[in-house]
Amino acid sequence: MSDIRLPRRRFPLITAVLATASVAVAGCGSSDSSSDAVPGGGGDDAAASGLDAVYEDAPVADEDAILPESTMAEIKERGVLRVAAALDAPLLSQQDPSSPEDVEGFDIDLAKMLAIYILGEPNIEIVPPASETREALLQNGTVDVVFNTYTITEERAEQISFAGPYFTSGLAVAVAADNEDISSIEDLDGKNVIVGANTPAVTAVPEVAPGAEVTSFATDPQAVQALVQGRGDAYVQDYTLLLAAADANDDIKIAVQPFTEEPYGIGLPPEDPEFKDFVNTWLEEIEDDGSWAEIWEATLGTVVEGDAPTPPEIGSVPGS
Amino acid sequence: MTAVIENLDPLLRALGTTVLILVVSAVGSLVLGVLVTVARVSPIPVLRGAAWAYVQVFVNIPLLALLLLAVFALPDAGLLMPLTTTVIVVLTVYEAAYVAEAVRSGINTVAAGQVEAARALGLRLSQTLRHVVVPQAVRAVVQPLGNVMIALLMNTALAATVGVVELTSAVNKVNLVAAQPIPIFTAAGLTYMALALAIGLAAGRIEKKVAIHR
Repeated sequence: MSDIRLPRRRFPLITAVLATASVAVAGCGSSDSSSDAVPGGGGDDAAASGLDAVYEDAPVADEDAILPESTMAEIKERGVLRVAAALDAPLLSQQDPSSPEDVEGFDIDLAKMLAIYILGEPNIEIVPPASETREALLQNGTVDVVFNTYTITEERAEQISFAGPYFTSGLAVAVAADNEDISSIEDLDGKNVIVGANTPAVTAVPEVAPGAEVTSFATDPQAVQALVQGRGDAYVQDYTLLLAAADANDDIKIAVQPFTEEPYGIGLPPEDPEFKDFVNTWLEEIEDDGSWAEIWEATLGTVVEGDAPTPPEIGSVPGS
Repeated sequence: MTAVIENLDPLLRALGTTVLILVVSAVGSLVLGVLVTVARVSPIPVLRGAAWAYVQVFVNIPLLALLLLAVFALPDAGLLMPLTTTVIVVLTVYEAAYVAEAVRSGINTVAAGQVEAARALGLRLSQTLRHVVVPQAVRAVVQPLGNVMIALLMNTALAATVGVVELTSAVNKVNLVAAQPIPIFTAAGLTYMALALAIGLAAGRIEKKVAIHR
């Protein structure tokens, strides 16, 4: 490395080069407003200990329900249920940054219940999916089940199987707290609308508001941040997620109540009717014995007024 | 594959966005990178130090972190640019650091005697750089610069994470409805490969054209 040193002379170099070098590297505050959206409200400890009791009494499958050579038997053999679930969805499947082992929320607690049903203990291994890889994860056997606010659709049902639906939610609209000109879906026309990448909102928004300009962000915290910073006029996302976000953030509010019905199913490997029946049986059991409602109360129920909803009819949706 | 064909229109428009980001950032980073290199070999210590710092900063911070900073932190500092513009600016300043390093290695191929000779002929410093050093330096590193441009192409996919509808993001959207990740992402991968090959081949041809036979 013999650097050439040019002789010192008058040097009319464009110092504008330097202007670019000053691109702020300051203010390195974590920019993704990382998961500070875990709502308090219910008091996490209370919720957790409340669920301990639910786990204690959780149903376990009979020996003869675990058919030989079946997926259930394989999971039992392995001793751990492999679940595709998010780590950044408040109230649904949220990892505690300070103790990564702690993942809590409606989806993930149900997954633990299913693990107890098969194994007798809540042994799960979480594979965080990208929404676009869920089918592939199931098809190639990377995971056993998907608990990931996975909307049941007929296109998806051609690729994989769904147990459930285990929960019905819907898309709602959040706006900045000082925004008064959006009060219905029609108002979204011609506006900038933020959606979560790979969520049902991506396709639903153009349907209800053809003139809307849609921008998608990878994660819920990013989308909320973008809304607060004015990159869009509204944020369309699952009602429960928005409730959690609005609960944690005074700068936004819910402007439009749910306008779609999203039936969430449990993603299962394709062509495995035995496993599907088995999971549906389990789902029915936890719905009947009240533990489904208790898990809802401890998670989504912390931001929703009133009692736990009635779970949707299993198999009531095309594709389930 | 039907999913790709049915959605060809939005996919092609998104590919257009990818190419737009690629071309603008490529031109920008080549120009900026050469300027940074010139600053690095200049006789002015402050300029040299600043250029060195610039390269260190952008080579040692992951692009995704820079993108997130630019998209989510700058607005809090009062600067709200359109998303595509933000991504192009970030890619330009980021990739310029790599261009600068490549060109600097090219400068080292120019014999010191030539600079002496240029001075003896009475060329000013700016003339020496413009007519003697930089042209030769850039010619020597066409292929490495091609590789930097290929990396830039791959890096445009990160724009999807901050809401820009480029190829990767559009492919995700199509897959959300069609739920056929394997064929859809394979098609996208092949598209990126074709673009990268085109850049590589172009770099090879340019190198043949401008090569200095010593």
